[in-house]
Amino acid sequence: MKKFERELLELICATCNLQDVDPEQIRSNDPLIGPESPLGTDSLDALEIAVAIQQEYGVRMDSENTSREVLQNVATLADYIQAQTDIRR
Amino acid sequence: MNAGKINSRIMIDFTHRQSAHCESGVAANLLTYNGIKISEAMAFGIGGGLFFGYLPFIRINHLPLITYRAAAGKILQQIAAIPGVTMVRKTFRDQARAMDELDRALAASIPVGLQTGVFWLPYFPMALRFHFNAHNLVVYGKEGHDYLISDPVFPEPVRCPTEDLQRARFASGALAPKGKMYYLAQVPDEFDRASFIVQGIQYVCKMMLGSPFPLIGVKGINFLAGRLEKWPCRLGNEKADLHLGHVVRMQEEIGTGGGGFRFMYGAFLQECADELQDDFLRDSASSLTLTGDAWRQFAGMAARICKNRLQPEDTYPAMAGIIRHCGEMEKQIFRDLHTWVNEQQ
Repeated sequence: MKKFERELLELICATCNLQDVDPEQIRSNDPLIGPESPLGTDSLDALEIAVAIQQEYGVRMDSENTSREVLQNVATLADYIQAQTDIRR
Repeated sequence: MNAGKINSRIMIDFTHRQSAHCESGVAANLLTYNGIKISEAMAFGIGGGLFFGYLPFIRINHLPLITYRAAAGKILQQIAAIPGVTMVRKTFRDQARAMDELDRALAASIPVGLQTGVFWLPYFPMALRFHFNAHNLVVYGKEGHDYLISDPVFPEPVRCPTEDLQRARFASGALAPKGKMYYLAQVPDEFDRASFIVQGIQYVCKMMLGSPFPLIGVKGINFLAGRLEKWPCRLGNEKADLHLGHVVRMQEEIGTGGGGFRFMYGAFLQECADELQDDFLRDSASSLTLTGDAWRQFAGMAARICKNRLQPEDTYPAMAGIIRHCGEMEKQIFRDLHTWVNEQQ
């Protein structure tokens, strides 16, 4: 897992209070939300993650579809944030 | 607009574009196919898609109905009412007849919009298949036993076997589609975008500010705030949290908590500002986007309460305060837009 992806995973674990999750066991392409996610997160967690990402990086997920695509896994989330940050520059 | 029919294959040259929401996406894609190039946000705005309603006497899964956008079908209805637009709309009792009618339209090279029940569409991942009967999609072809579908919430076109599509068209329950199909039979040669923009904004201003019912528009937002504040006392903590989760989850399953429709209307106003070279609309777009952020702030707080991850500031009165703030902001935005509309006429 890349450094930025690791940073995001730690933010997600802190935001959603995922004390039982061992970040070392999570891979970049593991599902982030839903029943197949090793994090055990659901749509309410997704909401909190979206809010936390906006607060931390100033990047907005502006529709359900954007959120669904962006929150597929840590890698897609990292790519989205970096792409949005690049646009602003 | 050509259709190729090889043996049992019909495929209309229909451009699939993914969208944030199905109805506005289908409206934009059908209009674009018919020569009126339009974005999803523009279809949402012209179709008067923004709304707020809190209707506790209507229950979905035993919880009160709350909606952040116009009723299902309203955007298409508004688009169909545009002068020069003819939209053919049909519902059916007979399932076989409904499928025959679809095949006939496809054979005539007409892409067809359908209202369907999400639960029965096999290309949806199981985790996302819930009982929602007002999901819109476009059928643009048929190959053997499969229909070729432009489902706007998917990045690429999908396929659906005949029996599954038939079942989805005749899903039972709330908002049962009854085989509903629709297509554009005629569009105007000249599409006076500016006047439809004004009409679309006027309609939303009326819905958000002018409704005599206390559950609709800005009044409805304030009504929800008053109710929500009292939920823990009236319902007990467990049931209050259940209601709360429902409020933020109902309209958008993943990640936006009701703010998404405010963001989309903001995108519409931004597009209008560019089109009409109007700085006031640009400012309104920014303000509405901030409202979306505030709705999301409420939703984030609600999620923390539902998940029992409370921060010191997370309380029902605090959430009610944010909702009232959303109401105040939207009241000001739509008052100003109403004034703008009057200046255009």
